[in-house]
Amino acid sequence: MGNWMIINASPRAPRSNSKRYAQMVSQCYEGTVVYCPLTKTNHSELLAKMDGVSDLLFVFPLYADALPVSLLHFLKFLEEHPPAHRPTVSVLINCGFLEPEQNEIAVEMMRLFCRQNEYPFGSVLEIGSGEAILDSPFRFLIAGKIRRFVRSIAERNYRTLRVTMPLTKGMFVRAAESYWVNYGKQNGVTKEQMQTMQIE
Amino acid sequence: MKLILSDCSLPIRIPEEKEVKWIDLSALNISNCVGCFGCWTKTPGRCVIRDDATRVYPLIAASDSVLYVSRIKYGGYDTIMKTMLERAIPVQQAFLRIVQGETHHVQRAVAPKQAVIVAYGDTSEEEQMLFRRLVERNARNMNFASHRVVFCRPDLVGQQVRKELTAWGIG
Repeated sequence: MGNWMIINASPRAPRSNSKRYAQMVSQCYEGTVVYCPLTKTNHSELLAKMDGVSDLLFVFPLYADALPVSLLHFLKFLEEHPPAHRPTVSVLINCGFLEPEQNEIAVEMMRLFCRQNEYPFGSVLEIGSGEAILDSPFRFLIAGKIRRFVRSIAERNYRTLRVTMPLTKGMFVRAAESYWVNYGKQNGVTKEQMQTMQIE
Repeated sequence: MKLILSDCSLPIRIPEEKEVKWIDLSALNISNCVGCFGCWTKTPGRCVIRDDATRVYPLIAASDSVLYVSRIKYGGYDTIMKTMLERAIPVQQAFLRIVQGETHHVQRAVAPKQAVIVAYGDTSEEEQMLFRRLVERNARNMNFASHRVVFCRPDLVGQQVRKELTAWGIG
């Protein structure tokens, strides 16, 4: 069995959904997994830990239609400091929109990085409704898809998988409104305040 | 209002009487977005990180023409421009709407924009195609009424920008 390294490239790694997705991946894999949050200052440390790793899994959210800038900085670091042995790169990405395919550009950017820097590319899991699905009745859909994702990497039978809440767009928009209104309420902010058109 | 956002210094001069603002992001202090959702759920419309980004995103929102000048990396904006675009999410609400059959965030007072992106670097055709797809996506999330991408070599950025400014009636 290969040794895996999971890099959580969420800008809010310690309390991110990406951390929860990474934990689910770790629980499904029977081999060794090292979990590492990405920070501004630990690039060299992560590179050192990559020694002997067969598979590198990047787990992160979609940011402004693309890779989070913190991950972009790390990829540029890897370009400058390539590891002695390049592991196979797989990607688990989530976005808050209903459509998992909104993650595609970011995935293509990861593929391009891998091609340009000679990393083998593995599997992809694109998650839609990723902000809320883990605490919804549809969590089981994620669990099943993550099992398939993990199996595909372990068996080197790479594939691209997608999952989201099975809701119509209209229902999802209404569910998201309720989610965010509750989120604001916890901060003492009303829906009307959240809907302000004022900027600064 | 027209806005030029660049990730590098440019050999241009903007006449003061024109309603045009140029911001060289490489000269500003802008931290990474930390994904706290504060600008949606705590202080709506305002970022909790009080650095130079807070005077840039209101200008992005108010502009009806934008010219973004950025190096390309892995088929997307390089880090300087990307940092700013991520910090611009206070211009959106947390709430969603359906745009062209997809769910996207509701915009606050964001003017529809004519956007031109001057993308520079040593890029392959594949990278350029990916960048075009990215800008197509940005158009839905950043309220671009129209957009155009121009690729050029790094040494020709100044020349290309001057050409675009001439089209804006400057120069």
